[in-house]
Amino acid sequence: MNVRRVAAVAFKEWREVTRDRIFLLLAFCMPAVWMFVFGYGLVLDVEHISFVVVDRDHSSLSRDYLYRFYQSRYFSFQGELADEGEADAWLKSGKARAVIIVPEKFQERLLSGQPANIQTLIDGTFPLRADITKGYTIAINNAYNVDLLADHLARTRGLSRDEALRRTRPLGLEVRYLYNEEVRSTWSTVPALIMFSLMVSSPLLTALGVVREKETGSIYNIYSATVSRMEFLVGKLVPYVMISLINVVVLWLMAVLLFAVPFKGSLLLFFASSILFILTSTGIGLTVSLLVSTQQAALIITVVVSTVPTILFSGLIVPVSSLSQAAQFQAHLFPGMYYTNIVRGTFLKNVGPAVLWPDVLALAVYAAALGAIGYRLFTKRPSV
Amino acid sequence: MQQHYGPSIHSSSTQSSVLSPQPSDTIVNVSGFVKRYKKHMAVDGIDLEIRKGEIYGLIGPDGAGKSSLMKAIAGVLTYDEGTVEVFGTLVDSERAAERVKERIGFLPQGLGLNLYPDLSVEENIDFFARLRLVPEQQLTERKTRLLAMTRLDKYRDRAMKNLSGGMKQKLGLICTLIHEPELAILDEPTTGVDPVSRRDFWAILAELLLEKGMTALVSTAYMDEASRFHRLSFLSGGKVLASGTPAEVQMLAPGSMVTFEATPQLDAIARLKIRYKQVEALGPLLHVFTDDTDPAAAMQSITSSLGIIKPMQLRVNEPELEDVFVALLLRQGEQPTAIEMPPAAPVTSNGTLAIEAKDLIRDFGTFRAVDRVSFQVKPGEIFGLLGANGAGKTTVIKMLNGIMPPTGGEGWVAGADMKTAGGAIKERIGYMSQAFSLYLDLTVVENIRLFAGIYGLDANATDQRLKWIVSMAGLKGYESSLTGRLPMGVRQRLALGCALVHQPRVLFLDEPTSGVDPIGRRHFWDILSRLAREEGVAILVTTHYMSEAEHCDHLALMYAGRIVAEGSPVDMKRQVEKEAGQLLEVATDQPGPALRRVTQAGFVGAALFGTKLHLLSLDPSQDEARLRTALSSDGVQVQDVLIRPLSLEDVFVYRVLVVERQEQATVKGAAA
Repeated sequence: MNVRRVAAVAFKEWREVTRDRIFLLLAFCMPAVWMFVFGYGLVLDVEHISFVVVDRDHSSLSRDYLYRFYQSRYFSFQGELADEGEADAWLKSGKARAVIIVPEKFQERLLSGQPANIQTLIDGTFPLRADITKGYTIAINNAYNVDLLADHLARTRGLSRDEALRRTRPLGLEVRYLYNEEVRSTWSTVPALIMFSLMVSSPLLTALGVVREKETGSIYNIYSATVSRMEFLVGKLVPYVMISLINVVVLWLMAVLLFAVPFKGSLLLFFASSILFILTSTGIGLTVSLLVSTQQAALIITVVVSTVPTILFSGLIVPVSSLSQAAQFQAHLFPGMYYTNIVRGTFLKNVGPAVLWPDVLALAVYAAALGAIGYRLFTKRPSV
Repeated sequence: MQQHYGPSIHSSSTQSSVLSPQPSDTIVNVSGFVKRYKKHMAVDGIDLEIRKGEIYGLIGPDGAGKSSLMKAIAGVLTYDEGTVEVFGTLVDSERAAERVKERIGFLPQGLGLNLYPDLSVEENIDFFARLRLVPEQQLTERKTRLLAMTRLDKYRDRAMKNLSGGMKQKLGLICTLIHEPELAILDEPTTGVDPVSRRDFWAILAELLLEKGMTALVSTAYMDEASRFHRLSFLSGGKVLASGTPAEVQMLAPGSMVTFEATPQLDAIARLKIRYKQVEALGPLLHVFTDDTDPAAAMQSITSSLGIIKPMQLRVNEPELEDVFVALLLRQGEQPTAIEMPPAAPVTSNGTLAIEAKDLIRDFGTFRAVDRVSFQVKPGEIFGLLGANGAGKTTVIKMLNGIMPPTGGEGWVAGADMKTAGGAIKERIGYMSQAFSLYLDLTVVENIRLFAGIYGLDANATDQRLKWIVSMAGLKGYESSLTGRLPMGVRQRLALGCALVHQPRVLFLDEPTSGVDPIGRRHFWDILSRLAREEGVAILVTTHYMSEAEHCDHLALMYAGRIVAEGSPVDMKRQVEKEAGQLLEVATDQPGPALRRVTQAGFVGAALFGTKLHLLSLDPSQDEARLRTALSSDGVQVQDVLIRPLSLEDVFVYRVLVVERQEQATVKGAAA
């Protein structure tokens, strides 16, 4: 390898990238913008569920019951309907996701020791949200039942209210969330977004950068020159690796400073494996670019092979462990998952190489394999 | 440094002895070369030998196989059969190719496409040099010299994307030669460049090759560049049709070119076509290739075949290489499809002009793209608008078509005012662009029907026009072929047919013949002249193929938005001969030193054409004597001095250079 030739290719590439305004924008703004948009936009917490009520009883007990929903931060009260018939319109328009209907004689039945039924209508179009809504509703309902029971005990057994409350809850449950104490979804998604931004931008840039030369014909300068395949590929990839490295730093700073995600682990491990991941993602771009001959084809294929699997299978939105078995298998085929493990591990869990070594190894294998494939595919004497 | 002036004697008597193959001199040896792209046979068995110091030419239309052959020689394309030996190395693998690449410079096809648009002139050169490990000091020296030689030194820091076509071409040449390769492979370096830049390019290339003893393999689609080469191969359909020195190729189809005027022209053509295969109408002139080499016999046979029509201003010339190529192609059995021009609506010429432009002006910001352009085109006239890229030709057409409002001036097309009648103009004109604007996934008939639909023809009219177009454009047998699979020549005629679907009275053709083989081009012009003569259609053509401009009745040469010369081709040539003199062709045994000596002796504008010198002379006999003394005192042997007819390219170059000189003078005058 002749360093001068590598430098010639790398400098040329760097100049081209930094002078082409659109390319420059793609290179440096796109990842940060994604981080910003998805970091704020991709919040998976179900809160502020809009709901309306139909209170047919208008008693102090019914008000007491509904009041628990009004107060909850998980629910957002939109108004009271006079008639159940209106509920449908609210749900259809999406202005309410749930309707709580308190039946007539609610108070009367409860006070006379008869059971009463609260009807809850939940918008089931999005199952995850519907399930969580149901869970919240049940929890509030249970708490109310317990309170009723405690009141009953206090009245009939002559116990103090505190004592009654204690008796109704013989088995307590104490939950502590580790690593993400407040179970904020940003803490979990923002580090994974570093992976996402890199995985989408760096293969795209690399693929476009190489295919552009094929499209215009300037690749013939390389074919016909004495520069070796290795020298060309290294020189060509260096600028894109540099761009991605700068992006990693920017994204890391955004995660820590803007989204206040704690970074608990080793910076060295994080950046070292980031380099491996960048090599992998630029390697994907390189491989794609060697297989196609137009920028459009490069764009489409890169999106298909890197963006879509990254969104679905990398653990960005749905944890890999909760995917179906077939999907889990697919997830293991894409490098995104391994890097996601490393990023979340170093950000939130402070785990080191002892735990993450399989993921680091997987990335190293990907980087090496893609590099080898690119080297094999690139020929200076093609047949077309 | 090795000084090598190459085998260069080309007087027909001595060339064979000088150019006899010497094994050590062979740089490239190709034998039985075959290249296929999937099932398509691109090159089908070519043999070729390139010797040290020569400019070897590959001539042929698009798809002839030139690029595939050149890429294989440059070691950047595999091939299927045969052998390619470069510098004695058999190039049959990537590894073998790598061994010869150091000694090769390759310029791929496409004007400036292999350069980096966002990099400056200097950065482009530096990249190529560093890729080739040229030491920095040598790089600086060579760069300074090459930039000065190509007059690009003022633009060192300009981004490549902001260069003109001619400048891009020269930069491409510098980048290819910066490592001083022994063999330069240049794929269509002159395509798409105006004649002045092309001449400049050839001069620079010839000088560099001589100085460094380089060898060059150059391809071109311009037939008239054939005389630039020491030796050449004419390729057609993946095969070599002829090869050798220009003189040798000329001998393959001996004959002469008879030029004369005959009226009525169409009758004359009909009579001549019975006997001659090559009959061309060039404006009012007829141009016929005969097998007779003796001028008197040639004239005699023409006169007799014309019968009662009397030819006027009969002249006999040596055929151009293009005529020879066409003769060879025709001998190969490539018969042009017979055209029948079915009778159409009779011409209703009411004496009005078909196109009139009056002081047209168009500004883009502070830049004046078109500057007071005026001209007139009569019905039945073929009018040629010539000029380099960016001279304003397309802007003029757009304004006349009503697509672009003029900044000033007036224009009428087919009786409609272009400013107020945009829609009406579009119904009366046909427009055909360089890109042919056809739908490649549709068949021939589907394309015609589509255009008929666009122009709102009813079913009856559509059927009529369909028949007319198919027979007029010689498309019989191609009706249900996919347009994408048609040969370029046929595709071009289909595009013409589609532009004529609504029977326009005025036809605009914007660079209509790029990439079409010579027979196809002649066929196309045949149709155009019949459209003009028989149907009275007025045709406005833009082109920078100078050989095509010969077909026009009237020409206007545009430069920097202005018309700088106007007249019929004959008048324009006569005018230049009056102002600057006749064209002398000087054959010598040492073209390089001869050029230097001649330039020193005060002959301005002398240039190398292959191995011969071309220069303009107002007093040929006196200048010939002066030349002979000057050259013989330097030990250069003058073999022959001939007076050649001026080509339109000579006219174009002369006119543009005159204007450039005037402009420089005004700039200097203003500065002083």
